[in-house]
Amino acid sequence: MPEEKMVNIYIMNKQYEVPAGVTIMKAMEFAGYQFVRGCGCRGGFCGACGTVYRKPGDFRLRSGLACQLQAEEGMYLAQIPFYPANRSTYDLQELTPELSTILTHYPEVTRCLGCNQCTKICPQGLDVMDYIAAAQRGDVEKAAHMSFDCIMCGLCVSRCPAEIVHYNVGILCRRLYGRHIIPKAEHLAKRVEEIKSGKFDGELNDLMGKSQEELTKIYDDRDMEQ
Amino acid sequence: MYTAEMLELIKVVEQTREKRMSETFPRINVEEKNKLLRGFHPDYMDGAMRPVQLGPNKGDALPHEHVDILESRSWVDPADVDLEKIDFDVDVLVIGGGGAGTSAAIMAAEGGADVLMATKLRHGDANTMMAEGGIQAADKENDSPPIHYLDVMGGGGFLNIPELVSALVSDAPICIEWLENFGAMFSKFPDGTMNTIHGGGTSRRRMHFAHDYTGAEIMRTLRDEARNRGVKVLEFAPAVELLKDDQGQVAGAILYNMETEKYYIVRAKAVIMATGGSGRLHINESPTTNHYGATADGIIMSYRAGAKLAFLNATQFHPTGVAFPEQVVGQLVTEKVRGLGAQLVNIEGEQFFYPLETRDAVSSAIIRECRERGKGLTVPSGSGVWLDSPMIDIIHGKGTVQEELPAMFRMFDNFGIKMDETPIIIYPTLHYQNGGVLINDKAETEIEGLYIAGECAGGVHGRNRLMGNSLLDILVFGRRAGMNAAEKIKNVKVGKLNLEHAAEYNQELDKLGLNERVSPILIPDYRYKISG
Amino acid sequence: MAIPYFPGCTLKTKATGLDDSTRATLAALGLEVAELPEWTCCGTVYPLAQDNYMGKVAAARILINASKEDDGRLVTVCSFCYNVLKRVNHAIKNDEETRTKLTQFLEEEYAGETKLVHPLELLRDDVGFDTLQKKVNNKLKGIKVASYYGCMLSRPAAEMQFDEESENPTVMEDLVSAMGAEAVDFKYKTTCCGSYQVMKTYDLVVKKVREILEGAKAKGAQVIITSCPLCQFNLDWIQEKIAEEDSSFDKIPVLYFTQLLGVALDVPVEKLGLEKNYVDPKPLLQG
Ligand SMILES: Cc1cc2nc3c(=O)[nH]c(=O)nc-3n(C[C@H](O)[C@H](O)[C@H](O)COP(=O)(O)OP(=O)(O)OC[C@H]3O[C@@H](n4cnc5c(N)ncnc54)[C@H](O)[C@@H]3O)c2cc1C
Ligand code: SF4
Ligand code: SF4
Ligand code: FES
Repeated sequence: MPEEKMVNIYIMNKQYEVPAGVTIMKAMEFAGYQFVRGCGCRGGFCGACGTVYRKPGDFRLRSGLACQLQAEEGMYLAQIPFYPANRSTYDLQELTPELSTILTHYPEVTRCLGCNQCTKICPQGLDVMDYIAAAQRGDVEKAAHMSFDCIMCGLCVSRCPAEIVHYNVGILCRRLYGRHIIPKAEHLAKRVEEIKSGKFDGELNDLMGKSQEELTKIYDDRDMEQ
Repeated sequence: MYTAEMLELIKVVEQTREKRMSETFPRINVEEKNKLLRGFHPDYMDGAMRPVQLGPNKGDALPHEHVDILESRSWVDPADVDLEKIDFDVDVLVIGGGGAGTSAAIMAAEGGADVLMATKLRHGDANTMMAEGGIQAADKENDSPPIHYLDVMGGGGFLNIPELVSALVSDAPICIEWLENFGAMFSKFPDGTMNTIHGGGTSRRRMHFAHDYTGAEIMRTLRDEARNRGVKVLEFAPAVELLKDDQGQVAGAILYNMETEKYYIVRAKAVIMATGGSGRLHINESPTTNHYGATADGIIMSYRAGAKLAFLNATQFHPTGVAFPEQVVGQLVTEKVRGLGAQLVNIEGEQFFYPLETRDAVSSAIIRECRERGKGLTVPSGSGVWLDSPMIDIIHGKGTVQEELPAMFRMFDNFGIKMDETPIIIYPTLHYQNGGVLINDKAETEIEGLYIAGECAGGVHGRNRLMGNSLLDILVFGRRAGMNAAEKIKNVKVGKLNLEHAAEYNQELDKLGLNERVSPILIPDYRYKISG
Repeated sequence: MAIPYFPGCTLKTKATGLDDSTRATLAALGLEVAELPEWTCCGTVYPLAQDNYMGKVAAARILINASKEDDGRLVTVCSFCYNVLKRVNHAIKNDEETRTKLTQFLEEEYAGETKLVHPLELLRDDVGFDTLQKKVNNKLKGIKVASYYGCMLSRPAAEMQFDEESENPTVMEDLVSAMGAEAVDFKYKTTCCGSYQVMKTYDLVVKKVREILEGAKAKGAQVIITSCPLCQFNLDWIQEKIAEEDSSFDKIPVLYFTQLLGVALDVPVEKLGLEKNYVDPKPLLQG
C-alpha cells in the first residue's frame, strides 16, 4: 500500500520523494504544497486539477486529473489550473437548436483540423474531436450526449490548433438539447400548476400540525411504491 | 486492483448472488432504527462532542471539530481594519459559489438587485458539483408534496422544522421546472417524462437524475446561466468576516484575496451566506466525500454575528464511501448504486440490511456489521463490506452500470476495478452537515440582513437528510434567499459599517482563555502528510 | 453487407436532399450503405501546399477508419469530399513522405488501401447501366437532361482518375440514358461554376453560372443534374437572383443526379428532399 514504497516525481521540474500510488494531489500535499488553485472537489468532478506530465524516455504528453491520477516513478508534471477561454453570452430561451446557432456563437468550430489532440488529452476519455465534429454539422443532440461527461477542465483547449473552446461548445449543445430538443415533462408542468393553485396546501397544513407520535404512526404505515 | 485474498472472497459473494437476488431484506421500524442509531451512529459515540462555551448556542454539545472552529478568534483584528475604504458597494452580496449561492445570485439579479458573488475557489468548485445520485421532487401522478413531506420528516427523525419542510416539498417541482427551462439534461424518456428512481427513505420513485453527474449538471447549468446574466463573481476571494452597520444589521463582509493576500471591503444591503458544509473538518477523524472548501466558514461568520445554530450536532455519514482502493478512500459511491439494486453483503456473502433505509440507519448497520458482528472485510484503512454492484447489470441489462453510473465506473476503472463485474468495498464516510444556521421559510436568520441557503443552513432536514433533498434544498432556499433579499433591499439604508460583533467575540474568547485558534480556516492543511 | 458511407458535413446541413436521395436510391437498388460511426469534416479543400500535412490529417483518418470496416471501400457522394478524400488517398499511396508523416502522426499503418467510390461509379460498376435500365419506370421519358460535372469530380485528372476522359466524362450521361431520359451534351459541363467565390466576387459567379445555364438551355435541356452541393447551390439559388432583376429569365431546375434517379425508380418523393430546391422541379417531373 501507499506508505510502503516511495517514488520520485518532478513537480514543475523539482524533485520530490512521495509514496507510490497516491494521487498526484495527495503527493503534492505530501511534498509540502497547500493548494489555492488546482484543487476543487478532490473527487474527479470539478475539473480544477487538470495535470499534464511526461515520463522519461517517452515523447508522449500525458494527462490526468491530479485528484485521480496516481504518482509513478519519474513523472514530470505540471498542473494547468487556468487556461484563457472564449465564451459567448446568449439567452437560451431565444435560441434554436441548429447549426446556425452554433456557428453564430462559436464560428471557430469550422476551423477544426481533425488533429485529435483534444481527444488524446481529455482526462475523461471523451471523444472530444467527435463531439466538435457533431457540433460542426449541427448535430446538437449527438454533441450534447457525447460531451455530457465533460468536467470543463480545459486541457483540450490548451492543445487545440484551431483555438476552439470545446467545453463551451459542449455546454451550449447540452443546454440547447435540454431546453429545445427533448420534450418538456408534462407531469411536471401539471404538478407545478397544481401547487400554484394551492391544491396541496390543506393537506400540508394538516401534516404540519401533527405531533411526532402521530407522524411516526402515519410514517410507519405509509405505502411504498415498489 | 484487488488483492488475491479479496478475489477469493469475491467468490463467496458470487456464490450467494443468485439466491440473494430473489430476497428482499426486511425493513426496520422507527423504534428499531432509534436503537440501532444509539448503538452505532458516530453522533452517539462517547467523547465525540463537547459544549461550546460562548455565543448564541452556548452550552450545546457539538462535535469537537465544530467547537474548535466556533471557539476561535476572528481572522481580522477589528482594530486594524479601515472600513471607510469601500472596495465594492452592492445591493446583495452572495458568499459561496455553489448551487445555493448561484441560485440566489440568479434570483436576486432577476429581482433587480446589483449582485456580487464572492467564492473561495472557482465558481462551481463545490459540493454541489459532486452530487451524483439525484434530486427529489414529487411530480409524478402517484406522488404529492404531502407524501414527500412525510418522507422528509421520517428521515429527519421528525425533528425537522415543519415550515421549512413544507417550503421544500412545495417548491420542489417548481425548481425542477426552473432547471428544465435552463436546459439541464435530466435523464428522461423520449416523450419528456422524467426518469425517476428510489433513494434511501423514499416511499415513491421521485429521484430525478442526470446519469450520475446530477449535481455537476445542475451546477454547470446554473453557472452558465449566471454568466449569461452577467452576475459579477470574485473567485479565490472568500469572506472572512461579516460586517454590520450601526443599527446592527448585516451590511457586508470582508473578503480575502487568497492569491494576493489583499482584503476587500464589501458593503451590501443584504448578505446571503451559502458557504456549504464542513466535511473537511474531518469530524470523528473520518475521511470525507466533500470538496476542498467545505470548512464551515459560513457557520462561524454567522455565529459571530449572532445567528443561532440548529442540529449541528447531527452529522451525516454516507453509508457507502470507498473503502478500497486506498487512493480514493472516503470518496462517494452514490446511493444510486443501491437505488439500482445493489445489495449490502458481508464477508460471508450474506445480505445484512435493507439497502435503502435512511442513511443514518444504513451507516450504523454497516458499522455494527464490522464492529459488533465481526463480519466485515479488512482493508488497509480499516474495515468495509461488499456492495454487490454487478447485480445492477443482471437486473437492468448489460451496460447499465456504464450508462447510468459513468463517473463511478470511471473512478474504479482507474484503479483496475470493473464494478460491473466485481463487487466493491465500502464503508461509511463523512458526507453532509445535517444542521447549520437556523433559518425560517424565507431563508432569513434572526439577524437583519443575513440570509442563509444550502448546506450552511439548518432545520430543513432535522437530524438526517435524505438523498436528493439537499440538491433540492439549495435550489429552494437559494432561490427564496435571492428573491427575498432583492425585495428587502428596496427599503434598506446601510449605516456606518463596524466590526463590533467580532471584537466582542474576541474579547469573550480572551476571557475564556481561548485565544489561540483563528477561523474560518478557509482551506485544510494537508501538507507533509497523506490525507483528505 | 453494407458499404461504409461518409456523408460529409454539407449533407447534414444544407444539402440534406443529396444525403436523403443517395441513401434512398442506393437502397432501392439493393445497395446498403452504413454511415461511419464517427467522422469529422474531411477538410473541404485539398491543401495546395505539399507540406501541409495537418490539412490532410482529417481525411486520412476517415480513410483509415473506413479501412477497418470489412468492405474495403468507402462511398461518398459530395464532390468536394470525394475530391479531398481521393486526393489524400492518392498522396498516401504515391508519396512516401506524405504517407510517413500522416501515418506516424496518426499512429496507424495505412498505405491507401481504402477504395474510394462515388455512387456514380457504383451505379456503373456494381449495378450496371443495363440492369438499371430494366428497373426504371418511364416517367423521365422525353425529358432532356444536361449533366453538369463541375471541377471537383474529375480534376486533377492524374489524381482523380474519374471516368475515362477526365475533361470529358460521360458517366452521368450514360446514367441519364439508363434512366430513360434524354442526355444532352453541352460544352460547359466541366466549366467551373465559381465555387466559393460566390461569397467574395458574387458578380463573377453570376456570370459563370449564367454561361452554364444558358449553355444547357441552348441545347434544349429541361433540367440540370450534378453531384456537388456547392454547384447545385450556385446554379439553383442564383437563378432566383437573376430572375429578380430580369423578369424574362427562363428558369431551369437543378437537381442532384440521385434525386432524378429517385423519380425514375419510383422512390417516394418525400425521400428525395426536393423541398430545399429554389427552382421548383415538380412541374417538370410530374409532367
Ligand atoms: C460527493 C457528494 C455527493 C452528493 N450527492 C448528493 C445527491 O445525490 N443528492 C443530493 O441532494 N445531495 C447530494 N449531496 C449533497 C449536496 O450536493 C450538497 O449538500 C449541496 O450541493 C450543498 O450546496 P451548497 O451550495 O450549500 O454548498 P456547496 O455546493 O458546497 O457550495 C459552497 C460554496 O461556497 C464556497 N465557500 C466556502 N467557504 C467560503 C467562504 N468563506 N467565502 C466564500 N465562499 C466560500 C465553497 O468553496 C463552495 O464553492 C452530495 C454531496 C457530496 C459531497
Ligand atoms: S472535453 Fe476538454 S474540458 Fe471537457 S473534460 Fe475533456 S479535456 Fe476537459
Ligand atoms: S484539437 Fe482542435 S483542431 Fe484538433 S481535432 Fe480537436 S477541435 Fe479539432
Ligand atoms: S479536484 Fe475536482 S476534478 Fe480533481
